Amino acid sequence: MTSTPKQIVIVGGGIAGVTAASTLRDSGFDGELTIVGAEPHRAYSRPALSKAALLDLADLNSHVLPDPGHGARELLGIGAVQLDVDAREVVLTNNETLKYDGLVIANGSHARRLGARGPGSHLSDSASVHAADSAELTLRTLEDAAQLRQRIAAQPSVVVIGGGPLGMEIASGCVAAGCAVTLVTRRLPQSALLGAHLADYLTQRAAEAGVRLLRATEISLLDLGTSARVTLSNVNAGTGPGTGAGTTIDGTRHSSDSTLTLDTELVITAIGDEPSTGWLESSGLAIDPTLGLRTDRKGRIHPNIVAAGDVAAFPHADGHRRLPLWTSAIEQAKVAAQTLLLEDEAPDLELQPYFWTEQWGISIKACGELPVAGSPEVLQGDLSEHSALLRWGDAEAGTATAVSVGMRMPIPRLRAHTRAVTSPSLAAAAS
Amino acid sequence: MKLVVDWPRCEGHGLCEEAAPQLLHLDDEGELLLDVEDIGESDLKAAQAAVRVCPVAALRLEQQ
Repeated sequence: MTSTPKQIVIVGGGIAGVTAASTLRDSGFDGELTIVGAEPHRAYSRPALSKAALLDLADLNSHVLPDPGHGARELLGIGAVQLDVDAREVVLTNNETLKYDGLVIANGSHARRLGARGPGSHLSDSASVHAADSAELTLRTLEDAAQLRQRIAAQPSVVVIGGGPLGMEIASGCVAAGCAVTLVTRRLPQSALLGAHLADYLTQRAAEAGVRLLRATEISLLDLGTSARVTLSNVNAGTGPGTGAGTTIDGTRHSSDSTLTLDTELVITAIGDEPSTGWLESSGLAIDPTLGLRTDRKGRIHPNIVAAGDVAAFPHADGHRRLPLWTSAIEQAKVAAQTLLLEDEAPDLELQPYFWTEQWGISIKACGELPVAGSPEVLQGDLSEHSALLRWGDAEAGTATAVSVGMRMPIPRLRAHTRAVTSPSLAAAAS
Repeated sequence: MKLVVDWPRCEGHGLCEEAAPQLLHLDDEGELLLDVEDIGESDLKAAQAAVRVCPVAALRLEQQ
C-alpha cells in the first residue's frame, strides 16, 4: 500500500476482529471501518463457554463483551462468501459487496465433527448449527453452549470424544451437571499440549471425579438422532496413571485388540478446530488445511491483506504455527492492524504464549511454551496438595515455562517466574 | 466513565493489568484492585483495552 488506507474491512467479529478494529482506531485510522461477523453477536469470551459458562446458570449473553468503542459499521450474522484480491472486494452472504483498501481476515475456525452434518447445517462453516435431531454436539459458539447446557440438564449419558483440554473441560462440566461421562481418546488426555507430568495429574483428577476413561486407536461414530453409537477399535484402556494394559479405571478387562461399542444419549466431540477458509478457496490465496492462512511476522498474507486469530498461522521455528488461543488472537490482531497502517514499520509479532484451563475444580495457568517435558522445578507448594507453582526449562536463558496450579497468579507475576531473578524489581514482581 | 468489576467472575488472570497497568493491578493474593475507578478522557483507551482483553468478560465501562 503506498497511501494511507481509507476503507478497511475486517472479516470476523470475534476477539481478533474487534481487537484489530480498536487497534486501528487507537493508531489514528479515522477512515471507513466495517466489521463482518458470521455470528449474530458481538465478540464474547469463547474460553468461558467450556468453563464458568458451562457451570453457572447465569444468562450466557453476559459473556458478550461490551461496546468496544471502535465506531465501526458492524454487520453481524453475515458471512463472507468470496474475495477478489485484484478488485479488492469482499462479497457477503447478503449479496452486498464491500470494497477495501486494507483487509483483515479474522473469521476464525470451526469445530471438527465426526458424524455427518445434520440436515439443518448451513453453508457458512464459521457458525456451527446443530440439527435438532443429532446426538453429536460440538462446542464453539454461544448457541452451542446454550444447546449443550440444555441437553446436559436432563443428565443424559455422555461420551466425550477428544482428550485435549476442551474435551476435559466439557467432561468436567458434564460431571458437575450429574451426567455419567465416558471420555474416549487416542492417547493420554492432554499429553500433547501439557506434557506427561501435568497430563497425568489431570487424568487422575478426572478418574477421581468418576469419569470412565477409554483409549483406542480408532474411534468412529454412528449418529442415530436421539442416541449414538461410538465404536472403539484397539481399545487399550487404562489411560490413568498406575493402570497397566488390560484394565480400565472401572475394572473392566479388555484385551489390547478388542473392539468396544458404547451406546450413549449424547456425544460431545472435541477433536480440534479447522480454520474457516472455505470462503477463500477461489481467491487465489495460499491456504493450508490445518494452518489456515500463513502470515509473515507482521501478519501479512498478500499486499493490503493481513490475517489474525484462529484462521491464521504465524512464523515459528522453521515454519508456521496456528495457536487458537485468546491471547494469541489479541496479539496477532494488534500487529496485523498496525501493519495495515505502518507496513514495514509495524512491529513484528512477539508472542509469549499464555494458556489456562479449569477442570475438576482446579485452575491451571501456563506462561511460556508448551508442552513441557520431564519433571518440574517446584517453586512453591505441592501438586499433591493441589496448589503449586512449577517451572520447566531454562530460567537463566529466559525460555522457561511457569505453571501455576490451584493458585491465583496474575500473568505478570507468572511471567516473571519464567525468568531467573537477576534484579530486585524482578524479585518483587516474582514474589 | 467508571470501571466496574464483576467480582465473582474475576479469576485473576491479570490480562487487564498488562493492558492498563496505570489503572489497576493484582495484589499478592492475585486479587484485582482498581487504582483508578473514574476514567477520564486520557485513560479511556487503556480502560477499553483492559475491558476487551478480559477472557471472562469481568470488566465493564459504565457511564456515571
